Amino acid sequence: MAPLLKVDDLATYFYTQGGVVKAVDGISYEVARGETIALMGESGCGKTISALSILRLLPASQVKIVAGQVLFDGVDLLKASKKEMRKVRGGNISMIFQEPMTSLNPVLTIGRQISEVLELHQNMKRRETVQEVIRLLNLVGIPQAERRMRDYPHHFSGGMRQRVMIAIAISCRPKLIIADEPTTAVDVTIQAQLLELLRGITRELNTSLILITHNLGIVARYAQRIYVMYAGRIVEHGPAQDVYRYPGHPYTAGLLASVPRLDEPRKTRLTPVEGQPPDPLYPPPGCPFQPRCTYGVPQCQRSKGDFVEVTSGHYSSCCLAQNGVTPWEKT
Amino acid sequence: MAVVASTSQPHHTLWGDAFIRLRRNRLAIAGGIVILLIGLGAIFVPLISPYGYAKQDLDAILQGPSWGHPLGTDALGRDVLTRLFYGARISLAVGLFAQAIVLAIGLPVGAFSAWVGGRVDNIIMRLVDVMYAFPDILLIILLRAILGGTIYMMFLAIGLVAWVNVARLSRGQILSLKQQDFVTAARAMGASGHYITLRHLLPNSLGPIIVAVTFNVPRAIFAEAALSYIGIGINPPTPSWGNMIRDGYDVIFAAPYLMIFPAIAIGILMLAFTFLGDGLRDALDPRLRR
Repeated sequence: MAPLLKVDDLATYFYTQGGVVKAVDGISYEVARGETIALMGESGCGKTISALSILRLLPASQVKIVAGQVLFDGVDLLKASKKEMRKVRGGNISMIFQEPMTSLNPVLTIGRQISEVLELHQNMKRRETVQEVIRLLNLVGIPQAERRMRDYPHHFSGGMRQRVMIAIAISCRPKLIIADEPTTAVDVTIQAQLLELLRGITRELNTSLILITHNLGIVARYAQRIYVMYAGRIVEHGPAQDVYRYPGHPYTAGLLASVPRLDEPRKTRLTPVEGQPPDPLYPPPGCPFQPRCTYGVPQCQRSKGDFVEVTSGHYSSCCLAQNGVTPWEKT
Repeated sequence: MAVVASTSQPHHTLWGDAFIRLRRNRLAIAGGIVILLIGLGAIFVPLISPYGYAKQDLDAILQGPSWGHPLGTDALGRDVLTRLFYGARISLAVGLFAQAIVLAIGLPVGAFSAWVGGRVDNIIMRLVDVMYAFPDILLIILLRAILGGTIYMMFLAIGLVAWVNVARLSRGQILSLKQQDFVTAARAMGASGHYITLRHLLPNSLGPIIVAVTFNVPRAIFAEAALSYIGIGINPPTPSWGNMIRDGYDVIFAAPYLMIFPAIAIGILMLAFTFLGDGLRDALDPRLRR
């Protein structure tokens, strides 16, 4: 079966005064129906921009999608009209944002903000939405929904607001939910609750989920497949377990080595990934990770980032992996 | 369950919360009460006062304050207190109607300019700058000459001059609100541009705009008084505080109170609106919205 979403060679550039920043530089990925994938990478690697590009919600006119295709159910969203896009947004694809504290309108009640989506996409009248709003609030675990729907966002805690955001996101039974670091702004116990909630809902509705995160723990537990991004490119992708066990790229290996583990002695020192991400205005030639890479070979300068299969269904863009060597293979 | 019910806050709307904060501000409440009293006096003066605003009593001209005439009489023997309350009608009407016109022009222009952005925004804002730089009173006099002398045209003239402030403010508000996450979230829900402007941006920008309008009211009142004082405002015999001061000027040495009382009235009403505006500003401060 064709994947629900197929992003093909997507490139989104920032046209700044200093020059062109290739925030998303030709990335491709697929999401099957009902599947959860993770887009993982550090701050500024382009994961959020790549997600916003799918919905064509780019922050400013200087940010442009310059190439690629976004096939959703076989339709290229990059060629869709504004009106068609508005139908897709919130209807077929919905998005959950990082900041629950500012993602809700402070002057509208919680109930109004949920019913707004229903009115926009389901052609419901405001009175008809009440029952549905209560059902959705109950579904995301907000008690006393009949009463709380008349509350304003400032009456809600961060975790509860994110529940409301989830209620809004699922209100029209979308086929795909994009969650942009949905738990970064809430504390750890709430994180787990919210992610369990999201997982339960996506399973029940057979909704696909793109989980954008920099949290390796979340990725391991909730995603079936992982795409690791670095400096606007995907450097490695594959089934979550394989990527964890046999990282095919030194960047992934470095990330995994920098996370504390319970099964190692407490005295074991964590190894950080040395150096800084490249200046986006002046990316290095070849592999973007090569300046920080401890395993670099001359070949890296000429790398075009072609993928090679490391294990079954698990690809890496590293030159060494292409040569069949993975010296970092240890985790 | 009982615990949950007792710990959750009572239900207040945002405006309800703001009103509670406003009520705690004594100066603002005093200002509001003064405005209300002057307003009631202006409405009911024909029922309360035994005198008409134009009724002359040539046997009792230029009398000082007394029981029959608490604030004395003017050069034509008309009761000053009665005329002050009739004049309050003009002042309040100018304050309110001119602001209605200001809102009706300034808010849409500012909102439109901010939402469209780019070159259109630039052009509109440069026009607003030109209007802003032009001396207010001069422009009002010019408009009075063009629009004619009725009182409604005066509201219009003052409104047409003062809207630039609100246009700038609402543009700034909406520009900063446009960057907020909830606007992106609304777009991600499939809301269109004008829907977001009307449903999300305007309601959020109302607080500071209400404050600005309240602060603008005394300026309009003062503008009317100034116009009437130089004789191109309200036509006699209809009293306005401006033309009462003007009349008093002729007899300033014989009866100085004829100038002083209307001047005090203008001062009190302007101060009342300023206090109320201060209170509203504190009450509607978005930083206090918690």
